[in-house]
Amino acid sequence: MILDLHTHSIASDDGRAKVENYCQWIRRKELPLDGFVLTEHRQFDDASDYRSLEDRFGLLILKASEVETEYGHVLVYGVNDDLRAAFDFARIDNPLAMVLEQAKRCGAVAVPCHPGRPKVGLCAHWEIKGPVEGVHTVETLNGGSRDGENEQALEYAEKFGWKRIGGSDSHIVSHIGRFATRFEDALTNIDDLVDALRAGRFDAVRPE
Amino acid sequence: MDIEELKNEFTGHVFDKIDLKVEEESLVGYARACGETQPRYIDPEHPDFQAVPNYPTRIHGTRGLPKNFPIDMHRCFDAGKSVTVHAPIRSGDQIQGRSEIADIYEKTGRSGGMLFIVHRMNFYNQDDVHLATVDWRLVQREFD
Amino acid sequence: MPEATDKSFSDIEFGEELPELSPDVSLENVKLFARSALMMASRFISHEKARESGLPGAIVPGIMSQGILVALIHNWAPNAEIHNIDTIFRAPLIVDTKPVANGVVTDIDEDSKVIELDLMIKNEKGETPVVGTARISL
Repeated sequence: MILDLHTHSIASDDGRAKVENYCQWIRRKELPLDGFVLTEHRQFDDASDYRSLEDRFGLLILKASEVETEYGHVLVYGVNDDLRAAFDFARIDNPLAMVLEQAKRCGAVAVPCHPGRPKVGLCAHWEIKGPVEGVHTVETLNGGSRDGENEQALEYAEKFGWKRIGGSDSHIVSHIGRFATRFEDALTNIDDLVDALRAGRFDAVRPE
Repeated sequence: MDIEELKNEFTGHVFDKIDLKVEEESLVGYARACGETQPRYIDPEHPDFQAVPNYPTRIHGTRGLPKNFPIDMHRCFDAGKSVTVHAPIRSGDQIQGRSEIADIYEKTGRSGGMLFIVHRMNFYNQDDVHLATVDWRLVQREFD
Repeated sequence: MPEATDKSFSDIEFGEELPELSPDVSLENVKLFARSALMMASRFISHEKARESGLPGAIVPGIMSQGILVALIHNWAPNAEIHNIDTIFRAPLIVDTKPVANGVVTDIDEDSKVIELDLMIKNEKGETPVVGTARISL
């Protein structure tokens, strides 16, 4: 099963894509995706219900978040009330160690994204500020990366034995599916995704 | 810097106005340089001759930010522009641009900590017809 | 390139690609634009001055990039009425390079008859320093 684990809709300040159009695009372009995860910036979109789109297009549509820390941006899967009470998703300076720890405590999974990106990626901060306990997975294929950034992320993942996810980081419709994550299991909801991420049964892929 | 305080103090009111006359030569030069080939934008003899839709983005007010706004305009960069067209801008129009701050928010990106300031200009013609709204996303890097 | 003809709403298909445009971002043309737009800052019209300020070369004004995307739309559908165009300047587009502008239909609203487009300008490395969207009608 292949999911794009990093997408933004119009719910994000810089997102310009409607969720329905993502679905249409996947089907019209026959992308080998079984679904995608909406990771809106600095928030969790509790209100939106995409079940009718899931049924109409036969896609899995899940909701997560992209939060900001002093070590860069972090995708959080399995957001629940406990986690939302644990820290302020809107802040741009959350401590990474705290986000990782709270995610684990609340039954969620935190994954640093675009680690090779300047300023908002893990690698540069890791070099300057030192390691942080609790990183187990990073995004090694990010669709918004520039030359060398995904390569650096992969280098770190190999060096530290981290698992790898992929995501398009799409902000417009036509960018969805540039990268994705292949899971060994069939997933039907966010709990399945969290379980699979914890179990390490996945890898980053470029959908062909 | 308290973003909510900034928003409360500076958003939602006009802080600057600028008046100018739309010149035919400027309309044609602007459109041609962008690669526009349609006669209604590059031929002043065309019966529907008008400005290309994003023409008003070239118009700046007498000041970029309100007086006493605690940001140095020279440290800002242009992160994007959104133009909403309400009515065509014509050669010879006497237009007025009215500036306000529409939103202020913070995020981090390739440039580090960034403060986004949405500078909105509404344009009106000599008959007070609303012509366009331009939202200019100004960013100050490395703010704290 | 064949001359484009006016289009009607029913002609348009979801996922349809606009014909690619190779814009002229030569220093000479950017200077013409800068004069028309009254944007004669040295970073737009002088490679040397731009490099002195840390840029890789003179940069295409963001609003010229947006104008190029407007031209891309009209090149595809001369009768297109653009209601909104929104561009994000993600990185500098360098003068005297050979970028390409692309667009694709990403939404067709049967009720309002509004069509949405994704727009982008790619540089020679295949990166997209300028992305955008537009809402149009025909």
